[in-house]
Amino acid sequence: MLARAFAAQVQGLAGRPVEVQVDMSTGAVAFFLVGLASGSVREAKERVRSAIRNSGLPFPQRRLTVNLAPAELRKDGAGLDLAIAVAICLAALGKPSQAGLAFIGEVALEGSLRHVDGVLVLAEGLRRAGLEKLFVAEVDAAEAALIEGLEIYPCRTLRQVLDHLLGGEAIPRYQGRPLAVAAAVECPWDLSEVQGQEAARRAVEVAAAGGHHLLMTGPPGAGKTMLARCLPGLLPPLDLPDALELARVRSVLGELEGTSPLSWERPFRAPHHSISTAGLLGGGTGLPRPGEISRAHHGVLFLDELAEFPAASLQSLRQPLEDGRVTLIRSAGAVTYPARFQLVAATNPCPCGYLGDSGRPCRCGPGAIQSYQRSLSGPLLDRIDLQVTVHRTPPHLLGRPAEAEPSVLVRERVFGARRLQLDRQGCLNSALAGASLRRWAELEPGSRNLLQRWSAERTLSARGFHRAWRIARTLADLAGDGRIRSGHILEALGYRLDELAA
Amino acid sequence: MSSLPELEGLRVRGRWPLPPGHRVAVVGARRPTPYGEAVAERLAGDLAQLGVLVLSGLALGIDGAAHRGALAAGGCTAAVLGTGVDVIYPRSHSGLAEQILAQGGCLISQFPDRTPPQRANFPRRNGTIAGLVDIVVVVEAGLGSGALITAEAALSLGKPVLAVPGSVFSPLSVGCHQLLRDGAGLVQNARDVVAELGGDLAVLDDPLQPPASLGLERQSELGRDPLLAYLSDSLPAEVGHLAARLQLPLSETIARLSRLELEGAVRRWGGGYVRLPRGGGRPSARR
Ligand SMILES: [Zn+2]
Repeated sequence: MLARAFAAQVQGLAGRPVEVQVDMSTGAVAFFLVGLASGSVREAKERVRSAIRNSGLPFPQRRLTVNLAPAELRKDGAGLDLAIAVAICLAALGKPSQAGLAFIGEVALEGSLRHVDGVLVLAEGLRRAGLEKLFVAEVDAAEAALIEGLEIYPCRTLRQVLDHLLGGEAIPRYQGRPLAVAAAVECPWDLSEVQGQEAARRAVEVAAAGGHHLLMTGPPGAGKTMLARCLPGLLPPLDLPDALELARVRSVLGELEGTSPLSWERPFRAPHHSISTAGLLGGGTGLPRPGEISRAHHGVLFLDELAEFPAASLQSLRQPLEDGRVTLIRSAGAVTYPARFQLVAATNPCPCGYLGDSGRPCRCGPGAIQSYQRSLSGPLLDRIDLQVTVHRTPPHLLGRPAEAEPSVLVRERVFGARRLQLDRQGCLNSALAGASLRRWAELEPGSRNLLQRWSAERTLSARGFHRAWRIARTLADLAGDGRIRSGHILEALGYRLDELAA
Repeated sequence: MSSLPELEGLRVRGRWPLPPGHRVAVVGARRPTPYGEAVAERLAGDLAQLGVLVLSGLALGIDGAAHRGALAAGGCTAAVLGTGVDVIYPRSHSGLAEQILAQGGCLISQFPDRTPPQRANFPRRNGTIAGLVDIVVVVEAGLGSGALITAEAALSLGKPVLAVPGSVFSPLSVGCHQLLRDGAGLVQNARDVVAELGGDLAVLDDPLQPPASLGLERQSELGRDPLLAYLSDSLPAEVGHLAARLQLPLSETIARLSRLELEGAVRRWGGGYVRLPRGGGRPSARR
C-alpha cells in the first residue's frame, strides 16, 4: 500500500515541492526514512510516531519505508513532519491520497502543530507546482495566505487534519483580508527632532531622493545614528512585490510576524562592527541563511564606526552593492539572496573622534589620522556618492522645542523627485552610470565646464566627477528642475568625498 | 652667531658641509591650519631668496611647507631627520626628500642608518635642529608641540627664538603666543627674521605675501563673495551656521562655498570651511 502527501523544502528563497511516499509492506517491524534527509529530518521519525499514537491514531506495526522525493534535494528541518504523519496515517488506514493537497508543519510529540520557518516561500513553491490546498499550523496561516490562489487550512492538531481528510469535522478555510498597500508608514524617527545639522539633514534628503549611499563623518555623540534612522521614514513605503520579496527573506529566517506577516515599512538594519562576515552577508552551517544585508533589502543598512568593521567584511560588500544580491556558495549548494539596500556609513574623523570638533581637542598624530582615513578608502567608498560632516550640537541648542522641518514635509520633496526619476529613466539616479548618465543627466555647457574645471584644477578623480554629476541630477530633481544648472553642480561638489592621496 | 657647538657623529646625505651664511629653522605643528601652512611656505621662500638656509624636520605640516617654500623659491634647504638618514618618514615625503637633494640641499641625521621612526628619537632630533641653526622660527604650535622642544633647546643654547602670531581663537597658535609672551621676537615677514640675524634690512610693516601655490595673486578683491567675511583662516566654519548667519538657503551656501573653493579662496578643513590667506599689497607684481 503506497500513500503520498506533498510538502516542500526551502532552498534559498525558493520552495521546492517534496513528495512524501509511504510504502507499507510485510516483514519485520521497521521504519526507514530515505531521500537525502538531514539529521533534523531523521528526528521526524520519533516525533511522528509519538504524535500519531498520542492523537489516538494507529501507528502501523509493519515495515514502513518513507521516501522523500526528489532524492537529490537535501531535506532539512521539521517542516516535513506533518506530511510524513499524514501519509503514514493514510497508509495505515488504507485510505486513498487526495490530489492537490500539501501539508507543512512540525508535529509536537502530543500531536499539536507548530510553526516552521519559510512558510511563505514553501507555499509559493507549492502553488507554482500546481497544488491547490495547503494545511499549515494555525500560527502560519496568515503568512501562507499571502500567496494568491492557494486555499489555506489552519490546523491546530494532527488529529484535526485527519478528521478533515477522512470526512469528519471540516477545517474552515482561512479567510485572509485582501492586501492593501500603505500610502505612508509611520516611522518613529523624525527629522523634526534633529537639532541643527542643516547640512546633514540636507544630505539625508538627497540620499533619500536619489537612492545614493551616504557617508557621515563626525565626532561621537553628534547624532549620526539618529540621522540614519530618519532615512527609512523619508522613503516611499514598499510596494507589493518588494514587500513580498522582503517577506520571503524574513520568512526563511523565521522572523515574520504571525498575525500581520506583510510589512510596508522599509527595513533599517544596524549591525554592530563585531558582526561576522557570515552574519553580515549570510552563511551558517548547511545551506547558508540570509544575513544583515538581505534583511536590509529595499531598506537601509547602517554601518556605524565603519573603520572598525573587518576589512574583509567591507570588501565582500562590494559585489552586493554592485548587483543588489549576494550569492553564497557552500558545499551544501549555492544560494542567492536579494540585497538591494541603501548604505549609510558613519565614521569618526580620526581614531579619537574629535578632529575638527570645536569643543574638544583631537589627540591623534597625523600618521594615525592618515592610516585611519586610508583604512576607510577603497572599494566600499567607491560606491558612496555623498559625504557630509556631522557636528556636535552646541549644548544651548539641545532641549529647545523642535522647530526643524519634520519628515512629512521633506518626504513630499523626496517623493516628487523620485517620481520624476522613475518616469524619466525607470530607475533612481544612483543607478545612472556611463551611457545612462550621459543620456538622462545631460549637462548644460556651463555645468560641464564647471565640473571639468574642477577636475583640472582641484582634486577630483573620474569617479568623483561622476558622483558629483549624479548628485547634481538629484539636486535638480529635488528642485523640480529638468536641467542641471551650475548651482546644482556646485552644491553637489560640496558633498564630495575627500580624496586621499594614496 | 656662527659658532656651532660640537655636533659629532652626524650622518649626511647630499651637500656637506652646509653652505656658508645664516641658517634658520622653520618649525611647527604637524597638522597646521591652512594659515600656518601658508605662512611657513612663504616665509621659507622669502628667506631662501634672501640667501638664508632654511632647516626643518621633514615632518608633515609646517616642516614640509617650509622645505617646499624654500625649494619653490629656488633655494636649498636641509632636513634634519628623526630616523636614519636612509629612512624617509613620513613616506609621503620621499618625493620632497628627493627634491631637497636634487636642489643641492641635504638630509642630516644623528641616528645610525636604517633607524626606523621611534617616538623617543624625534625630541632628540629637535634638539639637533636647534644646534645647527642661528635662529628658530616657530610658525604654529599647540601646547606640548614638538616645535616648542626645538624652541627650548635653542633658548638653552642661547639662540634667539621667534614666533609667528595667529588667531587668538586658534588652539594651534597657543604655543606661539606663549613664546611671544615670554619674550620671543614676533615674525610678520622675512625681514623680521633677517633683522634678528643682524642683517641690514629695515624692518617694515608689510604683511607677508601669500605663497604662489595658493594661486591668489590672480584674484582681484573686487567681486569677491561677501560670504568670505564670515570665514576665518584658522577655525573651520560649519556650513549650517554660515547659512543661518547669512540667512541664506543651505544649498546656496554650499554652492557658493564650492565656487570659492574652485577659485582657491577657501578650503574644506576640519569638517568645515576655512578661508585661505588672501593677497595683500602687491596686486599684480607676481603673476
Ligand atoms: Zn583624533
